[in-house]
Amino acid sequence: MRTARRRRTGAAVALVSTALLLTAACGSSDDSDGGGGSADAGSCQPAGKPVTLTFTSWVPGMQATVDLWNKNNPDIQVDYKEVVGGNQGTYQAYSNQIKAGKTPDVGMIEFDNLPSFRLQDGLTNVGGCQPVQDAEGKYVDWAISQTSFGEDGAVYGIPMDIGPMAIYYRKDLFDKAGIPVPTTWDEYYDAAKKIKAEGGVIGDFPTDQPAWFTSLAWQNGARWFSVDDDSWTVSLDDDATQQVADYWQKLIDEDLVDTIPGLGDPQWKALDSGQEWSIIGAAWTTKLLESSAPKTAGKWAVAPMPQWTAGDNAAGNWGGSTAVVFKDSKYPYEASEFATWAFSNLDALALNNKNGGQYPATTEGQEQLPALTEGLPYYGDQKVWEVFAQAAAGVDPSFQWGPTMTDTYAALADGIGKAVNGQGTLDDALTAAQAKTIETMKAQSLTVSD
Amino acid sequence: MTALPWTRGHSTRRHHRAAIGFLAPFLVAFALFYVLPIGYAVYQSFLKIEREGTFGRAHDVWGGLSQYAEVVHDSDFWDSLVNVGQFFLVSVPLQLVLALVFALLLDSPVLRAHRFFRLALFAPYAVPGVIAALMWGFLYSPGTTPIPGIADRFDLLGPDLVMVAIASVVNWVYTGYNMLIIYSALTAIPAEVIEAATVDGAGQVRIAWSIKIPHVTPALVLTGVFSIIGTLQLFNEPQIFRTISSAVSSTYTPNMVVYATSSIPNYHLAAAYSVVLALITCALSFVFLKATQRRAFQ
Amino acid sequence: MSTLQRTRLRDRPIPVIATTLFMVVCTAYFLLPLWWMVVASSTTRGGLTDTSLWFHGQFELWTNIRNVVTYQDHVYVRWVVNSAFYATVGALVGTLFASMAGYALAKYVFPGREAVFNVILAGVLVPATALALPLFLMFSKVDLTDSVWSILLPSIVSPFGVYLSRIYAAAAVPDELLEAARMDGAGEFRAFFTISLRLMGPALVTIFLFQFVTIWNNYLLPLVMLQNTKLYPVTLGLATWNSQKAIAGNLQLYVVVGALLSIIPLMIAFLALQRFWQSGLSEGGVKS
Repeated sequence: MRTARRRRTGAAVALVSTALLLTAACGSSDDSDGGGGSADAGSCQPAGKPVTLTFTSWVPGMQATVDLWNKNNPDIQVDYKEVVGGNQGTYQAYSNQIKAGKTPDVGMIEFDNLPSFRLQDGLTNVGGCQPVQDAEGKYVDWAISQTSFGEDGAVYGIPMDIGPMAIYYRKDLFDKAGIPVPTTWDEYYDAAKKIKAEGGVIGDFPTDQPAWFTSLAWQNGARWFSVDDDSWTVSLDDDATQQVADYWQKLIDEDLVDTIPGLGDPQWKALDSGQEWSIIGAAWTTKLLESSAPKTAGKWAVAPMPQWTAGDNAAGNWGGSTAVVFKDSKYPYEASEFATWAFSNLDALALNNKNGGQYPATTEGQEQLPALTEGLPYYGDQKVWEVFAQAAAGVDPSFQWGPTMTDTYAALADGIGKAVNGQGTLDDALTAAQAKTIETMKAQSLTVSD
Repeated sequence: MTALPWTRGHSTRRHHRAAIGFLAPFLVAFALFYVLPIGYAVYQSFLKIEREGTFGRAHDVWGGLSQYAEVVHDSDFWDSLVNVGQFFLVSVPLQLVLALVFALLLDSPVLRAHRFFRLALFAPYAVPGVIAALMWGFLYSPGTTPIPGIADRFDLLGPDLVMVAIASVVNWVYTGYNMLIIYSALTAIPAEVIEAATVDGAGQVRIAWSIKIPHVTPALVLTGVFSIIGTLQLFNEPQIFRTISSAVSSTYTPNMVVYATSSIPNYHLAAAYSVVLALITCALSFVFLKATQRRAFQ
Repeated sequence: MSTLQRTRLRDRPIPVIATTLFMVVCTAYFLLPLWWMVVASSTTRGGLTDTSLWFHGQFELWTNIRNVVTYQDHVYVRWVVNSAFYATVGALVGTLFASMAGYALAKYVFPGREAVFNVILAGVLVPATALALPLFLMFSKVDLTDSVWSILLPSIVSPFGVYLSRIYAAAAVPDELLEAARMDGAGEFRAFFTISLRLMGPALVTIFLFQFVTIWNNYLLPLVMLQNTKLYPVTLGLATWNSQKAIAGNLQLYVVVGALLSIIPLMIAFLALQRFWQSGLSEGGVKS
């Protein structure tokens, strides 16, 4: 009986291992080199025949922009698919598709995730494509330069939108309490103390938004990643970042800010009920705040971000995305022609802004879109977009993203969570994120200099 | 599992052919959509990446056990296992006791309005885990909870209580599910057995204790095994809770470690985590089954 | 339950009241969040943070439902139909396959039986996150990603269903009955489809229901497989809205309303199956 059972188990093991060999066999074939697909100037040529491109994004209403393109370009038809947000699963789907060679022609990737896909060798360098060279000059310089990864003339993504930052504040409350709107971080701290005396808080330190913290460090001139001679340098805990961390640690310790997750209903409720008096947000926060805190309409205003040095015009950038041409695309020329049109043509930008709330990455768009020159009733008829155009010009162009940002963010968020729960400091969070990032990069077989 | 095999030498070959015929459709699908992908994952876990330069193309090369060495040394992963261990204690005993009590009550004549209660208790299972977690998030968050006083008195999303808060969501969804498993086992008890006990003058509690519970022990063991598996694979709920609580880290449960690793993306390490997780699950389920077998399948 | 039991209980009202009270309290806990969904679905976007367990402000439920249903060219309706299709077909085929396999494992002795059973059971232990990527790569080899098949085919495997039907078949299908059928000259398959399947009724309903809900709630697999919004199941569709709520604020409300609506088909399925359950139950009770 005993031996009989052994034999049966043995049969099962054999079955499983046969299947294993089978998969091993088909697994090894799919990593075969697809050949270098980066399009230098020579190879980025028009197909010379009608083509159909596929395009995915999660911008609401992007279909309208695509429809407009399709109407005017019968030979380059675009088939648009709406997908879930990048970190909700689309990035993972892209990674799988790159592995299987099944990507769309054009896809949406946020700036901070771009290096990760570059590292997966999934992106086409469209810097040599004529449509890109024609449009390059229109984009805010730091936005387009972020997509080159230090390679001369390279463009791995066409900027779709950017998120220059400013402070949204309750004008009525600040006025009534006689507190001036802070123009420096020192003033922000003073205002925070006065607001606390009034029974409110100046704002929130969002515990689940590491990208927000990153953008504050960016404003102060942080350099988290740099590349030289085939090796990466990681310095999440550089002086600029530590200054920002220490500053917020002080506000947290003195209970001058909330520490609730950001951009969710708890925060909207706090903003709509007068508990929180301000929020440091990006251009795309404008419409979001309007729809999420409807009861305080007309009471809000926007001012430039507080500065570390009085009189400066340094701004952070939070969010923003690019349209990439994936490596498997057979038509990089047409794909880049469509993508540059969709994100620099004024008619297209107007649609993207109206339907998807996108803030354009071209100077022309920022200055000329009719919708961006009007005053907004929600903000007491203030022409808020002027503040963001000014901020867009003040974003530090030399900040670079790392190749494993998802992991860096996760480590940072974990550390921030510990810090606000009294199990460490924001400084500790930086140290931990630094160590984790280096470890993860090394696991990706990247050279990291110490 | 008290299958009565065909005794005496019937036409065995005919039976073998029939058994194969019955099993074939399932086994083919199982091999294609379970065994094959698992094999692929195992294969992936033995590879590692090599590349040249800053953005050099990555090549998969044979890595032997290097990913497993990584797993062994990763404290986040083992911490996450400790987490789900604690979670199991917080969540499962209460969940199963409630499920059993509900099932017994639904099966007993003491309770009226069976259909209503059965539907009401099962209803949460119809809510996808992601949605359930979002909804409970609303009920827990100080700014948005409609239950007065609860969020002021208890910091449900703080480091001390967040595990209880998540357990409450999980119990909300799965108690009804487990109840149904136990309940369907109760319905298989022959009516005469209960009838006979009633005629003998046994009360409902006594019938439940000495007839019904022993009868559904296999089902209870099954729910226990499922709870072990479910807890070890916990993912959706804590993942959503990350957006409402700073006390839930990105590596709170083993499956979150897998997910975080595969979104780097580091498939090989993620595959190794999955394999180790599956083996641990297997081992624990096996130990649990062994420990309960004498009671369950006597 | 029998009239005998009922008459006995009529003399003892206290346990009846006590247990009913206990159940009412517990049920309140289980229904409260659902009730909150109803209330929240009846407010405006701003009212969502008003934190009330009773209707307040304008009663907007019908407007909200209309908005959700008509948003983006009725895409929500499409998602619900898709989910219903995947879940119904997947669960039907899955239940049939699982019941056949479970029955074979319960009623036939053949070499390797326990080993096959154990391997199937081990399938329950595999984390879904580990299956999704390999499945995607396999399906992309045969060009079936982004198709109905990529969701349906993996859904028809229910190892748990095999387990349940094995246990149930062992208990509820008497060998004597099968023996008699064989004496009458019925083939193995005819015996299964005419006699055993009917006796396994309650187990089949349970397996179907569990598989139905599992497919309905599936998120990871469609997320990995599907690109075409028109093929999305409702879970993935709602997640898409949820991830856009940071851009289009109204979607936050639509997610709640959409989630509430999506529960209704499941409730209908459950109510409909409850009837079969009852009838299957009495048949299962008839033992030799």
